[in-house]
Amino acid sequence: MSDLPAIEALDLRKSFGENRAVQGVSFQVNRGEIFSLLGPNGAGKTTTISMLSCLLRPDDGDARVMGRSIRSDPSGVKSVLGVVPQEIALYEDLSARENLTFWGKMYDLRGSKLKARVDEVLEVIGLRDRANERVGKYSGGMKRRVNIGVALLHKPQVVYMDEPTVGIDPQSRRNILDNVVRLKNEGMTVLYTTHYMEEAQELSDHIGIMDHGKLIACGTNEELVKLVGQQTRIDLTLNAHVESVAAAWREIEGVSHVAAENGVATALVNDSNLALPHLFEAASRLSARITSVNIREPNLEAVFLHLTGRALRD
Amino acid sequence: MKAFDIALKDLTRSFRSAFAIVFMFGVPLLVTGLFYVMFGNIASEGGFSLPKTKVVIANLDEGGPKFQVNPKNIPGGKKAETMGELVVSILQSEEMADLIEVALTDSAESARSAVDSQAAQVAIIIPADFSHQFADVDEEAFIEFYQDPTLTIGPAIIKAVLNRFLDGMSGVKIAVTVFLDEADESQRGLAGQVAQQYLKISLAENEDMEDELLETRNPSGGAQRKEEETQSLLLSIVGPIMGGMMVFYAFFTGASTAQSILREEEERTLPRLFTTPTPQAVILTGKLFSVFLTVCVQVVVLILAARFIFGIQWGEPKSASMMAAGIIFTASSFGIFINSFLKNTKQGGVLFGGVLTVTGMMGMIKIFAMNSPAAQTMGDAVSLLVPQGWAVRGLTQSMSGESPESIFLTLLVSLAWSAVFFVVGVWKFNRRYA
Ligand SMILES: Nc1ncnc2c1ncn2[C@@H]1O[C@H](COP(=O)(O)OP(=O)(O)OP(=O)(O)O)[C@@H](O)[C@H]1O
Ligand SMILES: [Mg+2]
Repeated sequence: MSDLPAIEALDLRKSFGENRAVQGVSFQVNRGEIFSLLGPNGAGKTTTISMLSCLLRPDDGDARVMGRSIRSDPSGVKSVLGVVPQEIALYEDLSARENLTFWGKMYDLRGSKLKARVDEVLEVIGLRDRANERVGKYSGGMKRRVNIGVALLHKPQVVYMDEPTVGIDPQSRRNILDNVVRLKNEGMTVLYTTHYMEEAQELSDHIGIMDHGKLIACGTNEELVKLVGQQTRIDLTLNAHVESVAAAWREIEGVSHVAAENGVATALVNDSNLALPHLFEAASRLSARITSVNIREPNLEAVFLHLTGRALRD
Repeated sequence: MKAFDIALKDLTRSFRSAFAIVFMFGVPLLVTGLFYVMFGNIASEGGFSLPKTKVVIANLDEGGPKFQVNPKNIPGGKKAETMGELVVSILQSEEMADLIEVALTDSAESARSAVDSQAAQVAIIIPADFSHQFADVDEEAFIEFYQDPTLTIGPAIIKAVLNRFLDGMSGVKIAVTVFLDEADESQRGLAGQVAQQYLKISLAENEDMEDELLETRNPSGGAQRKEEETQSLLLSIVGPIMGGMMVFYAFFTGASTAQSILREEEERTLPRLFTTPTPQAVILTGKLFSVFLTVCVQVVVLILAARFIFGIQWGEPKSASMMAAGIIFTASSFGIFINSFLKNTKQGGVLFGGVLTVTGMMGMIKIFAMNSPAAQTMGDAVSLLVPQGWAVRGLTQSMSGESPESIFLTLLVSLAWSAVFFVVGVWKFNRRYA
């Protein structure tokens, strides 16, 4: 039993009319690990999580959470789950304490146990001092922390967090990331979605990269980075002619996967020392002024570029 | 248990919203309060609560050439040779004596200074050419009304009496004008008779008016019984208004509380509830329960508040409870019912503006048509087409002391409405979130 995976998605599919939001996603999350789904907007991360939390019925496929099927045992799944939705889902006219108390009851906590858990969670999310203020008065980051706190009240075995760090201040972001690691250390399994590659890289034991409703790659950070080989990524910000510079780059030897987006030309190169002069030369030949240069060792961003031909950006 | 937690949470939220409180309790009580003050002043004036209004009259009227009044036509049979004297005699009549204390003076200045020095509250100055202007078809006749600006009620009554008198008088002028336009030369002499005839009618009317006013306003002698009569007259006006307000706003509360289902969907808390180990049936029950509880609290509070603030008699406890139950069940189930047809809260504006107002008004026709039996019969029929009408019916039955059996019958019909609304609403919501 205990060596069964915590989450097992089996060919999940979901369409909204013509829009095939999730097109056969399968992956496996081991117990006690942090698994990140990394992908751009509209990749299908939320839709996948919604199916895994029994909010959406899949058109096809199934999934097991702690061995319970989302199709045949949704209430069993819900009882082991804590879900942090992407949108803040709190009662703004109630205080943080009142919110936590209410949601705790929904997770079947009562009495002194409930009260103790509410206090603990307030401590964890760092809002003990302001617990009695209405959530509506909180900053975005504080709301996000309460939003997470709600899902932790009943000490779930599995926690889903759907982009919990979108649009918040660095302090709240730090608090949240630290908490995710703490949850893992307490033995919880975390399914985390993000489109920040740094977060996925920092937190995850395993990462699944999603794009257009498909899981295009899956593995540890190292495994994924190996997909691009030892290639280095070079970003040149140009004042003009980005497209033509990118086109010129494609002809240069030792350069692969060129992309042009938002005034930035990006290339993966085998050896940056050899390639850089050629890249610069092409830019100045086309009289494009270089306003900044960024050289990065292989990372998930490069993996995404490698796999999709597009940059992974917000 | 969880359903109850959900309902309790909603109740807390409702009662924390200033907007909701205003509409649930503030507006109905305020409107009733306004009516109470309005009618209450008329009903209690002059008798026990208000001192007499002191009036100084400067009658400067020199009379008009063609003006004669037959003393028989003047209330109290007093003699009046000018229009000015007629005004004075009306204000001095015995029937008005409980309300006003009249003093006469012979100059406009002294009348005004009496008000300025607060020796009197109202000065009435009848100009020298008052009768003259009256006799002249093309002129308008004015009386100067000068009052202590800090007072309102006493002067207002006197103003009302005078206005009505003058209205009657201008009727005379119109009658004479019409007559003169249509009569040929030889008949012109009859104009005076026409005026006289009209004046007779108008004064007779005036007398009625005084009786009417005095009847409602003047428990002469201050007897306990009279005072109670005044009070019960007041309550017979204000009671149904309060009841109507209560029904109208209970339906409003039902609809807006039931809308919290849609609001929670949009605020994403409803989907979040669905991710907790709480069955959908329990969540929905909780939401419905909260609608019921909120309306329940509102109706009970309004009934008690109106009882203690205005002294409104809702009827026998048994009858009143049945009528309250009727209101609560129809209002909450109707709210669930109509919200189940909405896609989102944006459509709610139409719902509140249109459906609730129209059906609410239909249901309350009976209360508006209180004074006209014909309109009431029709209003009865129309109002019973909407659930509000049945709620109002139970209300008026209980207030007028009808038998518990007949109120029970009304309650049964209300419950039947509620059951239909409830079943349809729940069915639609269940399907929506399945
Ligand atoms: N309820 C819905 N009805 C219709 N289309 C939907 C619905 N939910 C999602 N979609 C569509 O499905 C696709 C995947 O959306 P999803 O929200 O799963 O992406 P995501 O990866 O979570 O993106 P984001 O990073 O923006 O949250 C999108 O094209 C989206 O427009
Ligand atoms: Mg999403």
